[in-house]
Amino acid sequence: MPINFNLKDTFDEMLASAKQSAGEGGKEAKGVAKQFLQNRKERLQLLAELRLAGDLPDEKFMSRLEDEKLILEAELKAMAVISKSTAQNTAQSVINIFQSAVIKALPEVLRTTT
Amino acid sequence: MKPISLPLPSLRLIQFSLLSFLLVFASCKVQLVSNYDMELSNEINNTAKKVDNFYLTMQEIAADKRQFVNFSTSYIGIEVDLNSLVIKNRVRPLNAESTRIAEITLQLWEKYKEEHKKDNTLSNGLIRLNKKTFSDMFYAMQVAEEGKKVSNSPNP
Repeated sequence: MPINFNLKDTFDEMLASAKQSAGEGGKEAKGVAKQFLQNRKERLQLLAELRLAGDLPDEKFMSRLEDEKLILEAELKAMAVISKSTAQNTAQSVINIFQSAVIKALPEVLRTTT
Repeated sequence: MKPISLPLPSLRLIQFSLLSFLLVFASCKVQLVSNYDMELSNEINNTAKKVDNFYLTMQEIAADKRQFVNFSTSYIGIEVDLNSLVIKNRVRPLNAESTRIAEITLQLWEKYKEEHKKDNTLSNGLIRLNKKTFSDMFYAMQVAEEGKKVSNSPNP
């Protein structure tokens, strides 16, 4: 009785799926990072403008620069969610492919029990 | 690659191994971040709108009428919403990042509220800066929430 399990094909399929998932996540992360940089640029421009116009005394200006660190932390946390989410999706798709290949390789009687 | 032909005992052993693998991994679900929460996403949007409305309204009021007391109720209302976002994020498992973003937003809100209270007015420039800061913070918050949709996308 032959076992219909092709390890090479299964691994190739897993690799292709991992590449696709990671690629999609990477594109999203790139777009978000670009927007974060644009937002930062606009905030810093505004900060400089207010400082030069005398709207922000030195103490407040320094305090706002400290806030920029917090905002950067928040943006990095948001990027971390996208990375984790992509990793989760990639890992799950790879496991699903392997699992379904194994199920297909099992004889009919065992397949229905799983 | 050709299918493999094996004697019956070896075949049984392999079938048993495959079945064991399936039993172990059948319920295997990789979870690194919490699931996307549409309700929370709507709440983020609503709070963002309130903050936007708050600063736009303030901008329309003459600078000499921007005493803290005229805005304290709105400050409290928005602070309640931000607190709610922190708590709702905190109770979800695998959600440290979104929780931290909400905490930072609340921290900045409290700080700018205190500034307004101390100075008892807010210049047009500071209104613009605060509005921009919170708009960007809510964007980060929403990115983190929407990012969880990636992990919910269908797998093969």
